[in-house]
This record gives sequence, C-alpha cells and structure tokens, in this order.
Amino acid sequence: MGKYITKRVLVTIPVLLGIILLIFYMLNVVPGDPVTVMMKEHLKEDVIENLRRTMHLDDPFFLRYLRYVWDALRGDLGVSWKLNRSVTALIATAFPYTLRLAVAAALFSWIMGIPVGILSAVKKNSLMDHLSMGLSLFGVSMPVFWVALILQNTFKGVLPVSGANSWQCYILPTVVLGWSSAGRIARLTRSNLLEVMRNDYIRTARSKGLSPLRVISRHALKNALIPVITVMAIQISSLLSGAVITESVFAIPGVGSLAVSAINNRDMPLLQGTVIFTAVLIIAGNLVADVLYSVIDPRIRVE
Amino acid sequence: MQDNILEIHNLVTSFASDGRKDRAIAVNGVDIAIPKGSTVGLVGESGCGKSVTSLSAMGLLPDNGRVESGEAIFCGRDLLKLPDRELRKIRGNRISMIFQEPMTSLNPVIPVGKQVSEALRLHGGMDKETAKRKSIEILERVGVPEARRRYDNYPHQLSGGLRQRVMIGMAMALKPDLLIADEPTTALDVSIEAQILRLMRTLQRESGMSILMITHNLGVVAEICDEVYVMYAGEVVEHADVYALFRDCAHPYTRGLIASLPRMTPKGQRLYTIRGTVPNLRAMPAGCRFAPRCERACKRCWEEKPLLQDIGNGHLCRCHAPVGTNGNGGEGNG
Repeated sequence: MGKYITKRVLVTIPVLLGIILLIFYMLNVVPGDPVTVMMKEHLKEDVIENLRRTMHLDDPFFLRYLRYVWDALRGDLGVSWKLNRSVTALIATAFPYTLRLAVAAALFSWIMGIPVGILSAVKKNSLMDHLSMGLSLFGVSMPVFWVALILQNTFKGVLPVSGANSWQCYILPTVVLGWSSAGRIARLTRSNLLEVMRNDYIRTARSKGLSPLRVISRHALKNALIPVITVMAIQISSLLSGAVITESVFAIPGVGSLAVSAINNRDMPLLQGTVIFTAVLIIAGNLVADVLYSVIDPRIRVE
Repeated sequence: MQDNILEIHNLVTSFASDGRKDRAIAVNGVDIAIPKGSTVGLVGESGCGKSVTSLSAMGLLPDNGRVESGEAIFCGRDLLKLPDRELRKIRGNRISMIFQEPMTSLNPVIPVGKQVSEALRLHGGMDKETAKRKSIEILERVGVPEARRRYDNYPHQLSGGLRQRVMIGMAMALKPDLLIADEPTTALDVSIEAQILRLMRTLQRESGMSILMITHNLGVVAEICDEVYVMYAGEVVEHADVYALFRDCAHPYTRGLIASLPRMTPKGQRLYTIRGTVPNLRAMPAGCRFAPRCERACKRCWEEKPLLQDIGNGHLCRCHAPVGTNGNGGEGNG
C-alpha cells in the first residue's frame, strides 16, 4: 500500500513540471511587456532597463523557467505586478474563503446527492425518482451564473447576496455551487446502484434471505459507491481551487476572485500562481481518489 | 405425496420486455416433485425455463418476471403465496441456492468468509465470533485449504473451483433441507467439476438433504441424479428415473440430447445434432413445441398439443409418438 502511494506521488512530479512549463510558456507569449504594465505613467529608459534586469526578463526562457520552478519549490511564486505583494501570501489570504465555500458546497452535494440517488434507484420510475432526477438534471445543466442571479434576486432581503463577513453569506453560494455537484452525484449514484442491483451476487445475497434493506446497504452500496467516491474526490479538489464564477458573482474574496482580478490586471505572476495552485490541488485530488479507490475496492489493491 | 420436500404444480411464469405489451411465457405449466433425500435433475438447453422455474419458486425472479399461476409447496406451505418476510426465513436457511458463475455470484468487495458467516448470523442468530469460527469450519468442510487464511480473502484471490466451494459452503452453512444447484459446474473445468460433484454427494449423504440439480449436461445428470425432468421450451417433456431415462428415453428430444453426447465410437462418425433452434417464446407452434425440430413429427404433432402421459412405471412423456412405440414418423438414427 505504502509502495503504491509512493509510486503514485512520484508520477505526479513530471506532470506538475509539465503543467508549470505550459503555463509559463503561454503567459510568456501573451503580448504585453510586464514593465509597461507595471509602470504605465513614468516610462523612463533607464528605469525600464533597470527593472528588466532585476526581474531577469532578459534571461533566456529556459533559465527563467528553471528559476521559477526552483523558487516555487521553496514556496515563492513571485511578486504580483499590480499589488506588489508576494503571490504566495495573496493565495494564502484568499484560500480560507475558498476552503469554507468548497467544504460547504461539497458537504451539501454529498448529503443531498447520495441519499437522493439511492432513493431514486430504489423507487425507480416513481414520482419521487422523476422529480429528483429532473431537479438534478436542472442543476447540472443550468449555467452557474444564471442560477446565482436568480437566487440572489429571489432571496434578497432574506439572505446576504454578496460578501463573506458572516456564515449566512455562504448559504446562497453553497447552494449554487453544490446544486450542480449534487445533481451529478445523485445521477451517478442512481445509475450505478441500478446497475449493481442487476449483478449475480445481489441474487446470491437475496437467496440467503437478507432483507431488501440489507441487500442494498451491505451488498449493493459498497460496489455502487466506488465510482461516486472517485468523482467526489476530484470534485472537491476542483471546488478548492476556487469557483471562479460563483466567487465573482457573490463577491467572495477567494482564490477564484483572485484569478479573475489577475486576468483583468494582466498580472502574470498572480495568474501563474493561481493556475499552478489549481493544478496542484487537482493532482492531489486525483491522487486521493486513486488511493481511496484501492482502499474500497480490493481488486485494485496492489499485492 | 408427503415424501416430497418440494412440489411445484402447474407453474406459469412470464416476462415483460421493453416496449411490448404482451408478456413472454417462459415457463408454461410445469409440474415437478422432489422426493426427500434424493437428487432430481432438471435438464434442458439454455432458455428452456429451467432456471426460471427455480427462481420462481424462490421468489427471486428479476423485476420484469412474474409468476402467473401455480403453486410451490414446501413443507405444506405454498412458497408463491408466502409474504416476502416469511419467504426470507426459508431462503438461505431451509432452501439454499448455488449459481452457475462463482466469480460473479460472490460479492467482489466482501471477504469470502464474511459472505459465508452472513447467513449464519442472520438465520442462526450467532454472534460475530461464533459465526466466524463456524464459517472457518464450513470452509474446511467443503475443502478450502488454509481456511483460516482464506476467510479474509476476496473472491478475486481464489480460483474458480475454490470460489464454487465457497458458494457451496455458503449454501450448506445452515444444513438446508433442499439445495437448488443452478448449473454449479458449468463454469468449471472437467476435473474440478468431478471434485465438486463428489463434494455435493458427500455433503448430501451426511445431511440427508435433497438436491435440485439444474443443468444442461447429461454427464452431470448420470453422475449424480436419481430422477430427471427434461424441459423443452418452457414445458416438461419427459420425466423418469435416471436409469430408465438413459436406457429407454421416450421423447425424441431426450433421445436427441443423449445421442448428441460424444462417445467412444469408431473414428469418422459425425456427432449427432438436433437440427434447428428453440422456438421463439412469443411464437410457439400450435401443436407439439418440438415438432419443427423432430424427425418423427407427423401431421398430428403439428396440430394437436401432446399431453404429459404415463407410458408405464411412472415414466412420463409428452409425445404423440414416443420412441420405442410405433410412431408415425421415420425411425431416425439416434
């Protein structure tokens, strides 16, 4: 088990280096000189020269890449051009907001999604099933910003519709963000459970005289939830990396909002930092999913 | 009468299929009696309704299946009319089942030992430790080597033969009165098949249970069964004790099945085959269901449905012109 995890962790290193290279390259070829971005008003030749040198902008591309990776390894993601603060510190300030929202949205989607999926599968083709699957489909297909605006409009005056200074502020964004995840999880749980219930070992369980409830809870659910757990692990990592639209609509100063402001300000180091942060979280989420998978499913376990 | 552990009378089971209003009749008026302590074979090719017959009696039909009529009397009670709660007390306790594919019939994410002890805890009311000890005993009994270690193994870590032994152990855990074995050796190779059949026979001798052996393999029937029911297209076409069946089979279908067994015959002879395929469940011939494939079929066979008749010594046959009588058709070359 330990060996398996070590192997999986080692595999992520080249992936991460590749991602950094790609982002670094793309932001490098985007038009716009950083120095011009930073100091629009006073463009004196010697100042520009000086800045370019201190920022190592004239060095070859690959050297700058290596320097960036080396700094990043030590937790230094550079300095924001616009805000003139360390990118790492900016992300660290924004992350707690994102974390709160992500955890709330993930919990919401699990607590809603899994039971609804199970009930829908058990009561297949009932009114309950059609209703909840309709709501799920709605959640999955509606654009987040639209749902957000509708909810803001509906609940204004009852709940805070922007900011992040009280727990009530998180209710609407949680619903907006969690709804589509809940829908996805409910649909996945339902279809997996229905599929598992057709298996021979379910017939074996029933032939032992187990009650329908025990057949589902002891024999079907564990098999049906394996793919759901994978989706949950990946989903929480993408939630953690910042719900860009939701955070912007509800004015939550999280990592998503940070990325949006970086784009608006052409703040390359900040943008680079948030994207790499996202990549790390998603890689970690996948890793956790793989490990969880092998814990739950004995067939995957490496001997 | 009172000597039968299970009697199925006039069972009719139908299936719905997507987008069709009419239901396909998979089992059409089957009568089967299983005497106490004996092994009864239920033989026929795939889709003839042999598995559906047993699943109907156990209330284990898939969602689209439904018992239309009939009864299944077990110890004086009709299983088909029992509420689910009562039926569950019998399933796995007094009637157990073994299925064909031991890989898919065991839950892949639960250790095999736990799957054995589950029934013990449910019906036997044992606590966890006792059930575990008992399960290990059972695994040893059915010939699983290193049973204590195997208890925690998952199904994928066992070979096909071991998995089927675990299935048998599971089914035998509570010493049932009746074991329904649905093609228990079909997925196994021949040497393992012989071991499994021997094991079943030994366990039967010890416990005195009855066995309903569902198979398409006449070799298995000859090996283990006392009497045999031959099914074709949802109906019983012949019933006799195993010696009478192999010696004087009366139905042309049974004769075809026996004739198509490979034998130690001189080189160069072609193996006999029954021509054609089983008729569609929704488009059964009006007369005898076997008529389109029968070498002896005559006009009467096409028009009039034959009844299951006693042709002597309790040997039942559903045929207008049984083999050995002066039939109207040709003699064939069985």
